[in-house]
Amino acid sequence: MLTQLPTDVVAFGASARDRFTALGGVELALRAESDPAARVTAGDALAELGAWDIDVRSDADEFLAAAELCRAAGAVVLPYPLVEQLLSVDGNRLALVDARHPWIDHGDLEGGWLASDLDGSARMAVTAPRRAAKLGPFVTRAELAAETVTVALEDVDRHLVLGSWRLLGGVSAALVLATEHIKVRKQFGQALAEFQAVRFAVADAVVAHRGLEELAKYTTWRLATATLAARHADAIALRLHADDVATQVLRCCHQLLGAIGFCDEHGVSVLDRHMQALLRLPHSAEALADRLVLAVSAGELESLFVSA
Amino acid sequence: MDYDLGPDAEALRTRLRALIAEHIPEDFLGACTDDPEDLALTERFCKTLAADNLLALAWPEEFGGGGGDVWQQTVVREEMWAHHEPRGPQYMGINWVGPAIMRHGSAAQKAKHLPPIADGEVIWCQGFSEPEAGSDLASMRTQATADGDGWVINGQKVWTSYALMAQWCVLAACTDPAASASRRITLFLLPMDRAGVTARPIPSMLGPHHLNELFLDNVRVGPDDVLGEVGGGWRVIKDALAYERVGIARYARCDSLLARLRESLGDEWNQLPGGLRTRWVRAMIDVRVARLLAYTAVAQQESGQPDDATASLARIATTRTDQSVAELLMEAVGPEGLEGDRRAVLHGAIDDHWRYAQAATVASGTIEVQRMLVARSALGGR
Repeated sequence: MLTQLPTDVVAFGASARDRFTALGGVELALRAESDPAARVTAGDALAELGAWDIDVRSDADEFLAAAELCRAAGAVVLPYPLVEQLLSVDGNRLALVDARHPWIDHGDLEGGWLASDLDGSARMAVTAPRRAAKLGPFVTRAELAAETVTVALEDVDRHLVLGSWRLLGGVSAALVLATEHIKVRKQFGQALAEFQAVRFAVADAVVAHRGLEELAKYTTWRLATATLAARHADAIALRLHADDVATQVLRCCHQLLGAIGFCDEHGVSVLDRHMQALLRLPHSAEALADRLVLAVSAGELESLFVSA
Repeated sequence: MDYDLGPDAEALRTRLRALIAEHIPEDFLGACTDDPEDLALTERFCKTLAADNLLALAWPEEFGGGGGDVWQQTVVREEMWAHHEPRGPQYMGINWVGPAIMRHGSAAQKAKHLPPIADGEVIWCQGFSEPEAGSDLASMRTQATADGDGWVINGQKVWTSYALMAQWCVLAACTDPAASASRRITLFLLPMDRAGVTARPIPSMLGPHHLNELFLDNVRVGPDDVLGEVGGGWRVIKDALAYERVGIARYARCDSLLARLRESLGDEWNQLPGGLRTRWVRAMIDVRVARLLAYTAVAQQESGQPDDATASLARIATTRTDQSVAELLMEAVGPEGLEGDRRAVLHGAIDDHWRYAQAATVASGTIEVQRMLVARSALGGR
């Protein structure tokens, strides 16, 4: 049993965080809403970090490096379709979509898009220009071509898992910002962190965050070790849990921050707004839970007492 | 990164399940029942495990243990709790009383107490809580007054699980009311048949034997009965609580019951309300998360640096999951869940689990204390 990430992977993640911080952190994401050059800057930074040299399909260590990179990118809601490009198929970025309502985050960026549902049924997508929206500011509508191709289910699972690492990064960053705030913000003569109700809220958020981190690591390991059916169920389970935890922790952080947390000058506002796309694409939490019900019914969600 | 417990652990899991299937009836719900045969069954099973070096598997061989690693012991904890703890109350001696004696006991205490625990021959109880001191142990009133080279103890303990079954008690008493909170308490290894010790049951929704009162009336103890240093009880208790927080694998019973009920319902499971089924899948995820958090605490134990906050995190996750799974199971079976006898669905295991789960966030350190420890760590120790 070894629950720690390899040291070289941790070091790579630290380098990525430093690089993204040097770009301004969440400020880059905010700037990207009005300045198209910001997304080019994000893409260049990923290239400099060697992101496009990572072969996420080759072995577990390469995939772990990608996961750690996604966590670092998630912590600043890096305005670039990182997961989609890491999992490109024949030069086309791979997006996961609900085929009935196909939307693609950063779909307006130059290049082809292959849009797959969670069963691996994929079609080329033509995307519309992005609209200026507060929530998910880079999301675009898409139209899918008639011809269907099949994407490996392993890629769908990798997509779900790497997206969950992005959410984990966002949750971590929001929690850090909120806890730093309550240590210095005074009300009624004492720091907010001294109030028991506040401390309990922090504790609950920390438990949720640590649980998500452990589940993300475990599910990543399972991608290389479990059966195909079991790891598909695991990938959906992780994404569902990531959605639930992100919703819980972001709500908690807003409450701890008060009005400042809604302002774009504060990181949590940007994190929350920009994470909404990932939280709702390709499916919302309840739709994922419905899919997982089918997996449980088929005995595919393994446990100490259930074997697929 | 590797979450495989290893071939030894998986072989051990298979072996334990075979032993349980051979020796423990399907309708067994633990030793805390009105049927004395259930306790007798656990006593026989402990000896069976001990004969195979499985009872104290993770203990060093010099203390009568099996020399196994903490992961093998984790498998034991999971399998035992999942199957309603067929070791009965003896799990406590294995999980923390024995290790506490190994770390803090004298050579004579080790020689006297460790072999019977490892051999499955003795039941221990824990005399910590008092009517006026629950989570706030430092305010306990049970007094050990110096007398000659020993002490005379007077006071009352409460919520003392297994007190009527136990032969020995780890008793906490105040030896110096004027000392600081961390130097006020001393632990004594007290035989339950010593003059002046009286135990009385407290009827409760948890069932028999879970809650008892312990009265101490001029109980004499000597220097040989002290565990650790005089005034050093708090340090031993802190160690003990850290062990106990990960000691009960509540998530494993949740896992087992969800699997058993899913199998028992068969196609009826698909007829459950959609909202209940989505709660079910979330419960399975929560069980998995609780297990993984427990493993992080075990990994810290293995490294020799157990950390309060990590153990508390694991405990918060597993106790909350215990309660949410209890509600889910009761809702899934409907009114049948109220029929608690062994003719009920899963032989009454759902009723039993629901009742015991109510205490999950209270026993062994309330969830509020755990949250304070987690928050303190998250806020940089403030």
